[in-house]
Amino acid sequence: MTSTAQELHPAPVLAPGRTILELRGLEKRYPGTHALKPVNLAFKSGEIHAIVGENGAGKSTLIKLLTGVMPRTSGEVIWEGQPAALATPHEAMALGINAVHQEVVLCRHLTVAANMFLGEENSRFGILQQRAMVKDAQKIIDDLGFDLPAHVTLGDLTIGQQQLIAAARATVRGTKFLIFDEPTAYLTRKEADQLFTLIRRLKGEGVTIIYISHRMEEVFELADRVSVLRDGTLVGTRNIAETNDAELVKMMINRSIEQVYHKEHFTPGAPILEARNLSGKGFEDVSMTVRAGEIVGLYGLIGAGRSEFVTTLYGRHRKSAGQILWEGKEVQINSEHDAIKLGMALAPESRRDQGLCLNLSVGLNLNLPIYKRISNNLLISSAQEKTQADRQIADLRIKTPTRGALASSLSGGNQQKIVIGKWLAHGAKLFIFDEPTVGVDVGTKAEIYRLFGALLSKGAGIILISSYLPEVYELADTLHVFRRGKLVATHGFRAASHEDILTQALAEKQEKLGGQI
Amino acid sequence: MSTEAIAVEKPKRNYNVLFGLTLLALLVLLWIVLSVATPSFASGNNLANLLRQGSMIAIMAVGQTFVIITGGIDLSVGAVVGFATVVVAMMINAGFPIWLAILVTLLVGVAIGMFHGFGIVKMGLPPFIITLATLTSLRGIGLLMTNGNSININSDTFTAFSRNSFIGIPNLFWMVILVGIPAYVFLHHSRWGRYLFSVGSNAEASRLSGVNVQRTIYMAYTLSGLCAAFVGVLLAARIGIGNPTQAEGWELQAIASSVIGGTSLFGAVGSVHGPLLGAFILATINNGANLLNVNSFWQRIITGALIIIIVYFDGLRRRGK
Ligand SMILES: Nc1ncnc2c1ncn2[C@@H]1O[C@H](COP(=O)(O)OP(=O)(O)OP(=O)(O)O)[C@@H](O)[C@H]1O
Ligand SMILES: [Mg+2]
Repeated sequence: MTSTAQELHPAPVLAPGRTILELRGLEKRYPGTHALKPVNLAFKSGEIHAIVGENGAGKSTLIKLLTGVMPRTSGEVIWEGQPAALATPHEAMALGINAVHQEVVLCRHLTVAANMFLGEENSRFGILQQRAMVKDAQKIIDDLGFDLPAHVTLGDLTIGQQQLIAAARATVRGTKFLIFDEPTAYLTRKEADQLFTLIRRLKGEGVTIIYISHRMEEVFELADRVSVLRDGTLVGTRNIAETNDAELVKMMINRSIEQVYHKEHFTPGAPILEARNLSGKGFEDVSMTVRAGEIVGLYGLIGAGRSEFVTTLYGRHRKSAGQILWEGKEVQINSEHDAIKLGMALAPESRRDQGLCLNLSVGLNLNLPIYKRISNNLLISSAQEKTQADRQIADLRIKTPTRGALASSLSGGNQQKIVIGKWLAHGAKLFIFDEPTVGVDVGTKAEIYRLFGALLSKGAGIILISSYLPEVYELADTLHVFRRGKLVATHGFRAASHEDILTQALAEKQEKLGGQI
Repeated sequence: MSTEAIAVEKPKRNYNVLFGLTLLALLVLLWIVLSVATPSFASGNNLANLLRQGSMIAIMAVGQTFVIITGGIDLSVGAVVGFATVVVAMMINAGFPIWLAILVTLLVGVAIGMFHGFGIVKMGLPPFIITLATLTSLRGIGLLMTNGNSININSDTFTAFSRNSFIGIPNLFWMVILVGIPAYVFLHHSRWGRYLFSVGSNAEASRLSGVNVQRTIYMAYTLSGLCAAFVGVLLAARIGIGNPTQAEGWELQAIASSVIGGTSLFGAVGSVHGPLLGAFILATINNGANLLNVNSFWQRIITGALIIIIVYFDGLRRRGK
């Protein structure tokens, strides 16, 4: 099989506006969860159809059924007028249905090019044409306007970049129907814009697109129609021009939210942590102070060194220069253990790789940091183990049948809540939240921000990393902008405009003029 | 909320218990079939023998399971058993008190386990490699120490222990209980047990949650080494000699028992009762096959087939769950 850049986007045969895919009473039951109650919905060829809903509403489940990843319990899927079994991913792909899943499911140890052509390698007499594949892959990536190399190992890219590669991959195979499940969760604005350009271009070529997101502004920017799922039920479909933010949120969670970014201001207290000219792998000469009662936001592109900076504070990596002061005294933090003992807590960036033990129970994951506290010298208090876990499940409204369910069976947003929840039970003086609301729905986001307020009022400090500018913008008392491993600007609460901050994070103009980087 | 949670938690517990009961049922079924098939099976002598043989593998399998739960493997345990028989035999023959000889032997097991931990944690060697290396070199060291000869243990008190019974049950089987109960408490009711599971599931996430991953790995291999050395003491008492080539292939039996008992080689899944039952199922099959004069080559084939069947059905049910 040879695939070249020329035959990438064969023109879909359907005239726009016709129904290309129809769900008739589509239903999915997992043991213990009725994830999708019979759903009827028709997708028109060439439209961008957004699907929104709370965490655990059944969005990803719907996608898994359409792409043959999971078998359906009952119902029919009609593809171009014919019932389709969709029993395997292969069958879905053969029809032209592709998806970019919520979690990147590619081979991290292979190169970008190998991943792009996985399953359809270019080979001659059984020998892989590696050079040609890298060249083709690079052409596709350049074509799409992504600034990424094709010959590097996928695992060396950031999660956001991997997501772009996954998107590029999905466009390579004669796609007629393409599904994006929260594609922008790990993307910065710039990368998201590249992705939107790609999506619009595909739409122009007649591809039908399903777009799942928790970010309303993206839905309004991109979609033609939007459907809302709640608890596995389709509550309605609207033309985008005939609806608004408030109505969608109301449909999603059955109540209204006045204010997502709930910000309380406290008078900052004594410094908790101070970094002085700190350098390490991925960042250089960073100084900042976090005081009790304040949120320090770190904004920048993914790969700008923010996560490396905080993991170094947390003892995961060695610093190469500089000092760390804790409550005014210089400290040596040689391990995560040291950091936790001082009073730090880190909710890391990647829930799959760093945040969760996926094949263990929700309860164990939530209690992991506090087992020492809930056991005496020898035994764990099973009563405490239960109440602690149940409290976090209730407080964060983690949607799970029981605390004994495996973490892997939860929806993406609910998994994210565990990553945060385990540190709330533990408590700390300094909380570091690295992309805490990735994939979390609007209602819970509001809840989490309220929890931030509660932590601050108890005298804790927070470092908040986000690639989603509105989040840090609306919440951070002090906002630091990172670019290529350096802290390039600092602003007070809402002190600079979005445009200024974006420019500082990107700073392409200065670089082209031969700036200092 | 909480009542609801308790109500639905049951299936998971039930599943574990159910799997245990299935294994137990299989064991009982084997016993019934064998008692009918051959009169000699149900004789007191034979049953005691079976329990003795199964007990030693069972204790090794428990230690092995701790290691497998962390996502590792300990190939050295058979060699540790052989080496331990030499150590304990030499010390007893040299006139040390028995309790001291046993203590030192156990400490040797601990040291070997620590060495594995060191190789994995500090040198970054894969568990398979470091324990494979120990497997061959320990046999070599033992042969050097004994010049390739067996050492006859000249203490009757020591050897009598393995032949005696307490309220009708062989002492060796009591040793399974002696190891099994603390192991159960450790694995399911202490935080270190939780850490074994969490490290096996995701070491990085555990680390960032404040779990001392290195210490957890040290602990798993140390316990496995300790269990193996203990079995070495029991074996020396049973056969009355110290010989470094003893217990050849026992590591595979221990791994097989663990896997039959529901332990996942991918880590993060396992129990204590599972490997214990697994060990006795294996011992029963070997014993029965001997009595029925089944060719010993066939025994190996049957064991292999059994591993595939049990693990396959276990996997089916897990997925179905
Ligand atoms: N493999 C599984 N086994 C059991 N239950 C599952 C499994 N996958 C999903 N679920 C359950 O099905 C429900 C719907 O999950 P789904 O992943 O479709 O939600 P979602 O709408 O995509 O949420 P999110 O916005 O958090 O990604 C959830 O309650 C989830 O716990
Ligand atoms: Mg989802």
